[in-house]
Amino acid sequence: MLETTQWINEYFKDSSDAIMIFKDDDLILSNQMAKDLRRELNLNPQYLVEVADSSVKQKFSPTDNCFSCIIQNKMKEISIPITLAKKMPHPLNYFMIYNIIDPEEKVFSLTLKNRGTIDRMDQLAQQKKLTQYVNRAYEKERKRISEDLHDSIAQGVYSAIMGVRRLENNQFSVEELDELTTVIESQLNDTLTEVKEMALDIRPSVLDNFGLLAALKVLAKRLQENSGVTINVAGNANTEKLSNDIQSVLYRIAQESINNALKHADADEITILLVAHDHYITLEIIDDGDGFDVPKHQRFNGKSMGLMNMNERVKMFNGAFKINSKSGEGTTVTVKFPIV
Amino acid sequence: MNPEQLNNPSDYQLIVNNIYQNEQFDFVGVALQSTKSPHLIKWKFVAGNTNEKFRKIVLRSGIGIAGLVVRTGKPFWDNDLNRYEYSDEMYTPIAKSELLQSAVAVPIISPLTKLVRGVLLAGYRSNNKQVSEQTALTLSQYL
Repeated sequence: MLETTQWINEYFKDSSDAIMIFKDDDLILSNQMAKDLRRELNLNPQYLVEVADSSVKQKFSPTDNCFSCIIQNKMKEISIPITLAKKMPHPLNYFMIYNIIDPEEKVFSLTLKNRGTIDRMDQLAQQKKLTQYVNRAYEKERKRISEDLHDSIAQGVYSAIMGVRRLENNQFSVEELDELTTVIESQLNDTLTEVKEMALDIRPSVLDNFGLLAALKVLAKRLQENSGVTINVAGNANTEKLSNDIQSVLYRIAQESINNALKHADADEITILLVAHDHYITLEIIDDGDGFDVPKHQRFNGKSMGLMNMNERVKMFNGAFKINSKSGEGTTVTVKFPIV
Repeated sequence: MNPEQLNNPSDYQLIVNNIYQNEQFDFVGVALQSTKSPHLIKWKFVAGNTNEKFRKIVLRSGIGIAGLVVRTGKPFWDNDLNRYEYSDEMYTPIAKSELLQSAVAVPIISPLTKLVRGVLLAGYRSNNKQVSEQTALTLSQYL
């Protein structure tokens, strides 16, 4: 028994949260962290009590007219966001937790939890979700490639073989032979196109060999053929100074943005502008589609990478990412990267 | 019209116009595979179009409704085109650009080789009109 009390004491003493225990609104006990905080910030514990008190009154006040108060009344704890050291260059954000220990003796505790830690936890959770998503996307991609190989490529080659077999029948007239060979040729051609498109989807070799602008032009042409939407690419081709990583990011953002515009925006025309300056490069993807409410789509929804992923990718290389959109006024995605 | 006579391109426009006038379809189109390499399949003759996007579409054999018909040589119809997303196998650009809800497509078969040289497609924009095998039959009778 003595040992457990000692453990509890140790925990109280070394906790990374600042814990203060009050009786009748007077501070009677505080741990090391609380003492440090009080000393460093010149903090008066009475101030914290007042903050807690007013927020308790707020929550329990019947004039508050809030429905959820019924639930809150049952809560033994109340947590209050509070910012300390407001006037200093780095304000400290805390959650203050008000906890009643003994209502009759009027003993309660105030615990200050660093909000940075909580944010960090949030971040970790988000990251976990992202990793899961990436894994799933990776598997999905492999499945797609495998299906494409099986359904399109194998099928195309197979029908071409069947066609060649038909040629062995000698009863065809010259005209018929002519058309039949044309068909076989076109089947093989389709298959070739599909192989090329798959290769392009997986990793655009144009990007490595001819640079970003050429790759964007190829991409635009293909997506235009697939959708009927006019996609123009304009810009200067000076992308030599860019690292491969940044070129890839720019390419993927263009791809994702065009796909978004085709999928959701019902655009008639999409314009891609790639302009290199002395010390920075900008990529703009402008569509004349429906537009959307940007803040609604900014958070990670667990299913599609979308905007958040674009933002993350750009940030990784010290770039800036911006989306301008209004309902009915189209969308402009802008990416800017510094160049050495 | 006899398929043997379908060598003059404008005949297809006549067929398309005919169907558009006689039936209730909102959109009718014919896509043909080019006889010259690289044998692209494009929409050549349409009626009831709301925009010019069809001119830019290049069909891919095996993908989308028309692509499937070109590859299999069998008629195909679908009453819920909206459910397809851009990355789907059955995504059809013409349905998206012409806002079709349902469509039916039949192959245009070359009389010489009995092979598919194109596709005749017709569709509705309103979702209370359904297409069926019967619609496919009606459509193929115009060829």
